[in-house]
Amino acid sequence: MLELKKKSSFRKRWEKEIKAFLNHKIGMIGLFGVIFLVIVAILAPVIAEPVSGYGNYEDKLLKPSSEHLFGTDDMGLDLFSQVVWGTRSSIKVGIIAVILALAIGVPIGLISGYYGGIFDTIGMGITDIFLTIPMLPLMIIIAAIAESNSINMVAFIIGIFSWPSIARITKSSTLKVCGMQYIEAAKCLGIKTKSILLKHVLLNASTPVFINLTIVMASSIVTESSISFLGLGDPLTHSWGKILHNAYQSGAFGTAWWYSLFPSLAIIFFVISFNFLSMGVRDALNPRISRE
Amino acid sequence: MAKYITKRILKGIVTFLITITLTFFIVRLMPADPATLLMDPRMSEAHRQQLLKDFGLDKPLIVQYFSFLRNLLKGDLGISFMQKRPVMDIIMEKLPWTLLLMTITQFITMAVGIPLGIYSGHKRGSLFDQIVNAVAIFGISIFVPWLGFTLLYIFGYNLAILPIGGAHTPGIDGGLEYFLDVGKHLILPVITLMSIYLANYVLYTRGSVIDVLSEDYIRTARSKGMKEMRVLWKHASKNAMIPTVTTAGLMIGRMVGGAVLTETVFAYPGVGRMIYQAVSQQDFPILQGAFIILALSVIIMNIITDILCAYLDPRIKLE
Repeated sequence: MLELKKKSSFRKRWEKEIKAFLNHKIGMIGLFGVIFLVIVAILAPVIAEPVSGYGNYEDKLLKPSSEHLFGTDDMGLDLFSQVVWGTRSSIKVGIIAVILALAIGVPIGLISGYYGGIFDTIGMGITDIFLTIPMLPLMIIIAAIAESNSINMVAFIIGIFSWPSIARITKSSTLKVCGMQYIEAAKCLGIKTKSILLKHVLLNASTPVFINLTIVMASSIVTESSISFLGLGDPLTHSWGKILHNAYQSGAFGTAWWYSLFPSLAIIFFVISFNFLSMGVRDALNPRISRE
Repeated sequence: MAKYITKRILKGIVTFLITITLTFFIVRLMPADPATLLMDPRMSEAHRQQLLKDFGLDKPLIVQYFSFLRNLLKGDLGISFMQKRPVMDIIMEKLPWTLLLMTITQFITMAVGIPLGIYSGHKRGSLFDQIVNAVAIFGISIFVPWLGFTLLYIFGYNLAILPIGGAHTPGIDGGLEYFLDVGKHLILPVITLMSIYLANYVLYTRGSVIDVLSEDYIRTARSKGMKEMRVLWKHASKNAMIPTVTTAGLMIGRMVGGAVLTETVFAYPGVGRMIYQAVSQQDFPILQGAFIILALSVIIMNIITDILCAYLDPRIKLE
């Protein structure tokens, strides 16, 4: 009976939060943006034929038209197709970066928050260092010396440097949760540390971590685009940054506005969608902020 | 205060040591070793061994590490593969430009962002606030190279009122003319680099003003009959600035990343553009040296920000 009651109040809270999210205009715009991007990424083969190699010389730098929605590049290749396929790479990079950030950041945050003391000093010390040093130059160096610059490698490099913010958030919410009486009660009941950490602490810390993940997702795309823009991306995969790199290299950005505009809009759309989504989730779960 | 400063500097030294250690091992442990990348594939094995010996790459890693540290202390960052000159000399030619760009950007961003944030936090929910918020979110999402290109396209090519690249016009040196010329070359890069960080300052300050305005001492100030503008700018703004200044330290590290992109787009002769060129030339000593110097600059700027914060908010020292 008690179990049932607990469940229903839990569900009620959820219903309330979902309702708050549905009423959050900016959050909903973000959600639709993200869904749109995922659909484009999945349906890329249906939407546009992949292009590669060299196009026709006559098709060089064509303005946007019904045939080439976003125009063509200096090789005569369709830009619409490249932007669509670039969505796929972006989502992929984002997911890999997020998984790695979680895999490294959450344990560090949990351990330094729960155990404190020397664990906290070391864990947060490393986090501070990673937050201080300029990340992009470091990633550029690693990408430059890495043997292969496949899109997975780039995603991996971004992922292993995206965890500090996750570690910080996990730690602060772990501290908050650990101060609650029910954790003390769980300790008194003799529940194993591991299961307290995983079941109670992690579950309660998951909301702020999730909000932060959408931000990691957005910034990983900016980083990937920057790395590709500097010519260190995967030469065989379409990515928005790579299109911009080509536009810069060909010197056509001054004459062919469509060359750099569409991939840039795609990056902006991606980042705004995820930022909006995180705002919506944050406000729905934390009504105090939304009133402000 | 002296104790706090000492502690902070010690922490900075530890951070720097860990950073360089990390850099050293990342560069050395990568699958492709610098020697292989440096050499022409047509070189013979004996030649390769000789080169490895010349660069000290044949010794055990730990020996290499200590000689790397020793050289670093002497200000020796190795020899550039491409230019065959000491890396330190090359970097020192470029660093002032980067520092100039970043310092000016930092000051303008704070001078514009903090008041904007304070005012929109005060006018929370108003049209002004909503516009500032919308622009800020758009600013965070913008991609630096694209903004740079667009500005170049409009002001450099179409209107032709601002220079299209570089840091100064060759031939002009000395005097007021040089000063104005350098300033003119800075306008577009500073605007580009500002775009993302401005939004951060505005949003942080806005958030903390909203918090501060509900404090008791603000109510006291109001009930004394103090004018609202004086409450806002004299009493609330000082405390509201503390979290913003704290995050400024973190922002500097990210700004270096933005500087690499901005300098590349505007052909600005700083460390960032040098990194871009070194990447295409596979010049590792330059890359490694540039990163170490940039990290050192960021760490020093962080120490300065932290000391500034402690000055603004004496409670920090107690922690």
